[in-house]
Amino acid sequence: MNAMGFAWRSLVRQPARASLGVLGVAAVGALLFDMLLLSQGLVISMRDLLERTGFDLRVTATDALPGQGPLIPNAVERTQAISQLPSVHSAIALRFANAVVLAGAPRGVYTTFQGVAGTGAAHPWTILRGRDVTAGRPEIVINENTATRTRLDAGSRVMLRASCNGQEQALPPVPFTVSGIAQFPFDSPNGTTIATSLQMLAAACGGNETNEADVIMVASQERAGPAAAVSDVAKLLPDLHVLSNAEAVNRFERGGFTYFRQISTVLTAVTLSFAVLLITVLLTVSINQRLGEIAALRALGFSRWRVVADVFCESVLIVGGGGLLSLPVGALLAIGLDHILKRIPGIPADVHFFVFQPSALQIHLLLLSATAIVAALYPIRIVSRLPIAATLRDEVVG
Amino acid sequence: MWVRCVLALIGAALIAPATVHADDTLPSVLISRQLSEGEHLAVGDVIRLSASDNGSNVQSFRIAGIYEPTPDPARLGAVIREVQLHLPDLLGLTREPSAPSGSEYVQTINVALVDPNDADAFSRDVRARMPGIDAQPASGAAESTGPFIVLRRFHLAIAIVTIVASTVFLLALTIMLVDERRAAVGVLRLIGLPIRRILLQLFLEGLLIAVVGSVFGLALSLLSEGIINRFFQWRYDTTLVFVRVTPQVAAVCVAIAIPLGVSATVVASWALLRRNGLRLARR
Amino acid sequence: MSTTNGHIVEARNISRVFPMPAGAVTAVADVSLEIRRGDHIAIRGPSGCGKSTLLHMLGCVEAPTAGTLLFRGDDVTQLSDRQRSLLRLRQIGFVFQRFFLLPMLTAAENIELPQSEANVPKTERRQRTQELLEYVGLGARAAHRPSELSGGEMQRVAIARALANKPGLLLADEPTGELDRATGEQIASLLDRVNADGTALVIVTHDPALAERSTRILSMRDGRIESESTSA
Repeated sequence: MNAMGFAWRSLVRQPARASLGVLGVAAVGALLFDMLLLSQGLVISMRDLLERTGFDLRVTATDALPGQGPLIPNAVERTQAISQLPSVHSAIALRFANAVVLAGAPRGVYTTFQGVAGTGAAHPWTILRGRDVTAGRPEIVINENTATRTRLDAGSRVMLRASCNGQEQALPPVPFTVSGIAQFPFDSPNGTTIATSLQMLAAACGGNETNEADVIMVASQERAGPAAAVSDVAKLLPDLHVLSNAEAVNRFERGGFTYFRQISTVLTAVTLSFAVLLITVLLTVSINQRLGEIAALRALGFSRWRVVADVFCESVLIVGGGGLLSLPVGALLAIGLDHILKRIPGIPADVHFFVFQPSALQIHLLLLSATAIVAALYPIRIVSRLPIAATLRDEVVG
Repeated sequence: MWVRCVLALIGAALIAPATVHADDTLPSVLISRQLSEGEHLAVGDVIRLSASDNGSNVQSFRIAGIYEPTPDPARLGAVIREVQLHLPDLLGLTREPSAPSGSEYVQTINVALVDPNDADAFSRDVRARMPGIDAQPASGAAESTGPFIVLRRFHLAIAIVTIVASTVFLLALTIMLVDERRAAVGVLRLIGLPIRRILLQLFLEGLLIAVVGSVFGLALSLLSEGIINRFFQWRYDTTLVFVRVTPQVAAVCVAIAIPLGVSATVVASWALLRRNGLRLARR
Repeated sequence: MSTTNGHIVEARNISRVFPMPAGAVTAVADVSLEIRRGDHIAIRGPSGCGKSTLLHMLGCVEAPTAGTLLFRGDDVTQLSDRQRSLLRLRQIGFVFQRFFLLPMLTAAENIELPQSEANVPKTERRQRTQELLEYVGLGARAAHRPSELSGGEMQRVAIARALANKPGLLLADEPTGELDRATGEQIASLLDRVNADGTALVIVTHDPALAERSTRILSMRDGRIESESTSA
């Protein structure tokens, strides 16, 4: 009987203890797996989302994030100039404001309000029903939440009151036609969003500042790549700040996202310590109860390495069994935890905190393997240094 | 009235320390410690601030002091580069040239009541008398902040998983501990002690272990509270408190741990005591 | 391995001293003896006289702190732990007072275990195991676990296990210590048969009746062999 077979028989000899060991490892292993998913999940998800918009550069007036800093003056001309660079495929200017859509509720429905200008570029939203807005016409696209709450659809006419630049203004309501229902990539699950052309947004905001934008979004030519486009745009407009998707993700990582990486590191350390402690105690107590048998086996001719291998294989079986079970448990737990965290206000619906990556699975397996080894070290020390004769004597006396 | 200025994001790029000279006619400002360290500014330095990105309408101020910003969890990881001005100075700096004086506005007015317990009633009164104005007690504002409610739920979910894993561990341990005493328990049964008597003995032992374990766990949590707070305060250059073991938290933990520990001992023992005494006593 | 005058084991002035906090204890002092092929030796003496310690040294479980111990002419004190383990596996069999059968294995599996460790092919060891079970009178109990066997049956399985790799020497430490008289008699008869079939046998025992069955009886006191007698 080889060491693994022997270890298996030793474990099933105490089924309750072995099962609890496996379950314990499964529980902590699930948490460990989830923390590994969390450590990079948000960053990966945000990166995917940024790339899915089709734009890989963002140009702002300062290093503040889009919508949090001053407006870019002469945005339309600058957008056109950027779009003509050889390394650039297309560019659009985007401005953010707020609006109250006077429909669906007595005081209207509060929404975010986007205005877009650009030549020949796709808009940063996807039309689900109806059609996109036409530049120069008082048309808006609205998202599903807005459509539901205002009971509007493609073709509806509506009045809305804009609120721009965060100022308190008493702007008159302006008529628009809903041209289509759209999906906005950065919408939160309950978010309400509407969008139109930059010109129409400026008109709704009082007619001033018609040529200003919060951000210019740029798509680079595939053959040139974002780095070349960043360089070209920076040379063309040295007074503006250019950020590639990768740099934006880096900023998120250094900012609010860092909390989740820190907590995942702390919890990873805690779960690993817990697992090592659990297995070490299980194996040590089990071996202490079998010292006589082990001494007898050594007396019969079993080598030191053979009894060490038996102990190690027991550790591998407990951690291996628990580790395998931890994957489906961890997956279910991740879905639940993701569901909780996605309720943070402002988190886009398409962003996830727990994202599966093969590297997380590899690290998980590596960490569990290390756990099996470390947890077995003390029990292995006991059996490898077991004084055979003294143990046999103690067993008789005991 | 000191008013927080969001100029930091814009003005920080435009701050230029001038030659230090004692100019009592200049209006004074306070700057955050982080701004002071980042721009190598000190008390007495003269700085120039502008509210526009093209640097127009620049005004000079004298640094009267350096303050530690109130820790704000919503700004974790950010370097707090702030300037605090007297309200008239701020309004003068940010007013549009064409806007008439007196047409400015503020976002918030902080009110300290004679009796803090009047906060709710006062808020309702303000809202009723001044439509368009929202008044909220400060304590309620913290609780209503969405992200922290969500994070609390997240931490609770993690805690539940940890408790489940700990319970499994505890059961495994108690089964092993009780199993080690199997021969002794078997002999006690053989000489006539009733199950209830032995169970009481084991229950008391489990209670003692659970109490000692809880005390040890609390001590460990207090120790780790200090370590975690110190580490993250250093890491994020903040005075924010990340972990706080309040009496309520400690009470909840002990209220969970002790019954769990005792229950695990009783469950493990009961399974053993149901067996025949002779079988227990045999090796 | 070479033999020296047909001796399996040759002990020359071996001693075993245990360092203790309260002072060193000499368990075995200056003992010399030879074990030849086919010997049937009993070692008897009062508790604490060093019988078991001497047995452990003869079985290469414990190394002497002084003296020379030769096993088939090779000095075992010069062997590594691995080599001593191999020696015990292939050349020496042990029977213990407390049987020390593995409770999670069947009787057959307990007997197969040392053979498996000695890399005996599966077919061969299965056959050998069945032969041994028949030899000890437990041919029908192969699939029973130790908890399903009586004390005497467990000791018979333990003897079969000790004989699994056909050792030239069988060492038994109080083999009837936990058995009643009748069962002990059965075990003693079995051990006689093992010896008659060519395996040298050394038994440590308190039991005078068991000792009288041996051809050589060594009496120990205070770690020394006080006397040696032969029975007719």
